Amino acid sequence: MSLPRKRSRILQTTRKIGELIMTYFSKVSDAKSKGKPVAWVTVFTPVELLYALDIYPVAPEHFGALCSARGFIVDYLEEAERCGYSESLCSYSRCSLGYVLSGMNGIMPPPDILITFRNSCDVYVKWWQSLHMHLGTPLFVGETPYVLAPEDLDNYVLDYVVKQLEQLIEMAEERFGLRFDMEKLVEVLKLSDKASELWFETLKLRRFRPCPLGGRDSASDIFPLVVMQGTEEAVSFYEELLREVKGRVGREEGVIEDEKFRLLFDGIWIWHAFDLIKYFEDKGAVFVYEPYSEAWAYRLDASEPLESIARKILSMGLNVDIDIRIERFLENIKEYQIDGAVLFSNRSCKTWSATQLVTADILNKKVNVPYLLFEADMADPRQYSEAQIKNRIDAFIEVLSES
Amino acid sequence: MEIPSEIRDLCENPTAILSRYRDSGVKVIGYTCSYVPEELMISAGLQPYRATNIRADPSALTPSFICSFASATLENMIRHDDLFSGFVVAHTCDPMWRLYDILKKKTSKPLFLLRVPHNTKNELSLGFFKKELIRFKTFLEENFEVNIDDDAMFNSISLCNESRDLLKSIYMLNSNSKHKVKASDRFHVVLACMWMPKAEFNVKVKGLNFDNGKTLGDVRLHVNGTAIYEFSLIKIVEESGGFIASDDLCTGSRYFWNNVEESDDPISALSHRYLLRTPCPSQSPLEDRLDYINFMVREFQVQGVLTFAKRFCDPILYDSVHIRSMLSKNDIPTMVIEYENPAQEIGRIKSRVEAFIESIGG
Repeated sequence: MSLPRKRSRILQTTRKIGELIMTYFSKVSDAKSKGKPVAWVTVFTPVELLYALDIYPVAPEHFGALCSARGFIVDYLEEAERCGYSESLCSYSRCSLGYVLSGMNGIMPPPDILITFRNSCDVYVKWWQSLHMHLGTPLFVGETPYVLAPEDLDNYVLDYVVKQLEQLIEMAEERFGLRFDMEKLVEVLKLSDKASELWFETLKLRRFRPCPLGGRDSASDIFPLVVMQGTEEAVSFYEELLREVKGRVGREEGVIEDEKFRLLFDGIWIWHAFDLIKYFEDKGAVFVYEPYSEAWAYRLDASEPLESIARKILSMGLNVDIDIRIERFLENIKEYQIDGAVLFSNRSCKTWSATQLVTADILNKKVNVPYLLFEADMADPRQYSEAQIKNRIDAFIEVLSES
Repeated sequence: MEIPSEIRDLCENPTAILSRYRDSGVKVIGYTCSYVPEELMISAGLQPYRATNIRADPSALTPSFICSFASATLENMIRHDDLFSGFVVAHTCDPMWRLYDILKKKTSKPLFLLRVPHNTKNELSLGFFKKELIRFKTFLEENFEVNIDDDAMFNSISLCNESRDLLKSIYMLNSNSKHKVKASDRFHVVLACMWMPKAEFNVKVKGLNFDNGKTLGDVRLHVNGTAIYEFSLIKIVEESGGFIASDDLCTGSRYFWNNVEESDDPISALSHRYLLRTPCPSQSPLEDRLDYINFMVREFQVQGVLTFAKRFCDPILYDSVHIRSMLSKNDIPTMVIEYENPAQEIGRIKSRVEAFIESIGG
C-alpha cells in the first residue's frame, strides 16, 4: 500500500552548498593558475596542515560523489575499466583514475602532490599508488595504525603519526620552497575546531522530535568539513546552519510534517540515488543519526598542534577498534531514540561493510532494533536496482509500523 | 620424484595436523599471513599454523563482495577455534583487518593484531614495526606464561632460516632456463613448511631430491598473485603446456625469499626482515614490487606473466594494471585471470590459460 506523499523540507543553508562547492573549486583553480601547489588528498588527510602551508587540497572521493550525484560518472568509470581497472574496485577510485586517464578535463586541477593517510582503508594506498604511476606526481603515504585502545592516542602510535606529519611538512617545504609557520597552523586549527564544534552542536539538535535536520541535509552539509577544515568560509557556513536548525527546533518544525520513524543510516550515502532519502521521508521515516555525518568533525587542541592533528586522523570512524565503534553505535541508538537502522552494504567500501553483519547481529540481540540491510554501490549507478531496494524499504516500513 | 604422501595428505587437509598437535599437548597459534614472524611463536614454545581457506566456503558473517579467500579463512578459524590456543592477524589488507574485527567478536581465545606499516621505505615505519613486534612478544609471554629470551629467539631464527634456505634452494633449481622442479611439487613443500614443526620439516625435506632432470611444460611462466592454496590452478597451467618457473605468491617465494640476519638484536633483525622483505601487493612503494617481479622474470627467464587475481582482492587488481604496463615495455605478455572458486570455474580458467600459453608459443 502506498502512503500519500508528504512535504519534506531541506534547510535553506543546505541549499547553499552547491554554490560553496563551485566557489571552492574556482579558488583552487585560481591558486593553481597562480603557481600555488594543489594536493590530491584522501579524505581524513589533515587539510589544516596543507592550508597552513598554502597548499590547496582537492579530494577525489568528493569528486567521485559529485560526479555520481550529477549523473556524469559512468564515462569515467568506463574509461578506468577500459584501461584494466576491475569493476569490483572502489567506484570513487575508478572515477578519478578514469578522469586522469581521459585527460583531466574537468573541475579538478591536476595535482602537484598526492597525499594519503591510510585511516579509512588500505585501498587508499593502492589508489594513490596508481595515480602516482599514471601522473608521475610525488606521493606521500602516511600511516595511521588501527587504534586498538585509547592509549594508542598517547603512546608510540601517536608518536609515529606526529613524526610523519613533520616529514610531510619537510617534504612540502623542500619540494615547493614553502616555509611552514606554526602560528598560522594554530590559527587554522582554531577555525577547524570551531567548525567541528558548530557541526557537533547542530547534529545534537537532531535528538529533538521532530528532527530538524534530515539525511538530505546532513549528506550535503558535511562538504566544508571534507576539504575546507580550517577556513573562515566553513565556520560561517556552520554558524548559519546552526542558527537555522535552532530556529526549527524553537518552532518545533521537523524535516517532515508527521514524523513516525526515526532512523539510523549506516554507510556512505548513495549519491546517484539521493531520492531514496526522500522515499523514506515520504513514508514518515526520517534519518536522525549517521556515523558518516559525525566522522568528519573532531575537536582540536591548538595548544598541541601536531599531536592534536595526529589524534584526529587516527580517530576517524573506521580506524578505531570494533568494540569502541559498537559501543558508540549503541549509545547513539539510545540518545537519538532510533526506531530502526538502515545498513547500506556498499560494494565500494569494504572496510565499512565487512562488519555490518556482526553489527546487525548485535542490533538484533542487544537492543532489538529492526534493521534493513541492502547492497548497492555508493557511486556506480550500474550496480543499483531501484525497484528491488524500494520493495525492501516498503517491507521494512511495514515491520516498523508493526513494532 | 614423488612428494611423500605425508606432505601430500597434509596439503589436502591441513587441519588434520591440528588434531595431532592437540593430542600431543602442543599449543597452536593460527596466523593469517607471511608478515607474522613465526620465529616469535616458536621461541615461545608454540606451534605456528598458517590459517587457510582450504575446504571452507566464505563465511556467512561477511558480505559476498569481500575477498572470499579472507572470508573462508575466517570461516576456518572460527570452525576450528577449539583446536587453537590463540590467533594472530596481520593488518595487511582491508579484508584481513576486518577479519580481525569479526574474529574478536567470535573467539574467546587470545587474539593479536599485528599492525604492519604499508610505507615500508620510511625509516619511521621500521621503528614502529619493531615496537609492534615487542608488543607481540609481550602478548605471547603474558597469555602463554612463557619467557621469550634472546637464546630462544636465536634458535628459532636459525631454524626458520634453515627452512627458508631449503625452500630457496629447491626454487633456484629452476633459475635461468632450467626445468627441474614441478610447481605443484614446490608448492606442496612450501605449504607444508607453514604447518609442520620446522625441525621435522627440515629433516624431511633435506632427504628429498627435487631434481627431476626435466619436467613437462615448455612455456616458462611467472605466476603473480596473493595466496594460492588451490592446486587445481597450478595443475591447469601445467596441463596446458606451461611451466611455472617462478612466482611472487604469499604461498610461494614471498614466504621464504629473505632470511633473518642472525645478529645480537633478534627483534631488530626480525622487524627488518619482515618489513623489508619481498613486498605483498598491499604494500608501498609499488616500485619495489615491480622491481621484484622484474628480477624474477629475468632470473627465471620467463616468457609470460600470469596473474591469478582472487575476485575482490583489491591490491592485486590495482597492481595488475601497472605490472602489465611495466612488462609490456619488455615485450613480456601478461594475462589477468579473476576467479572466485576454481572448482566451479575450471572450464573458463583452463580455456584462458590455454589461449595465453598458445599465444606465447606453447
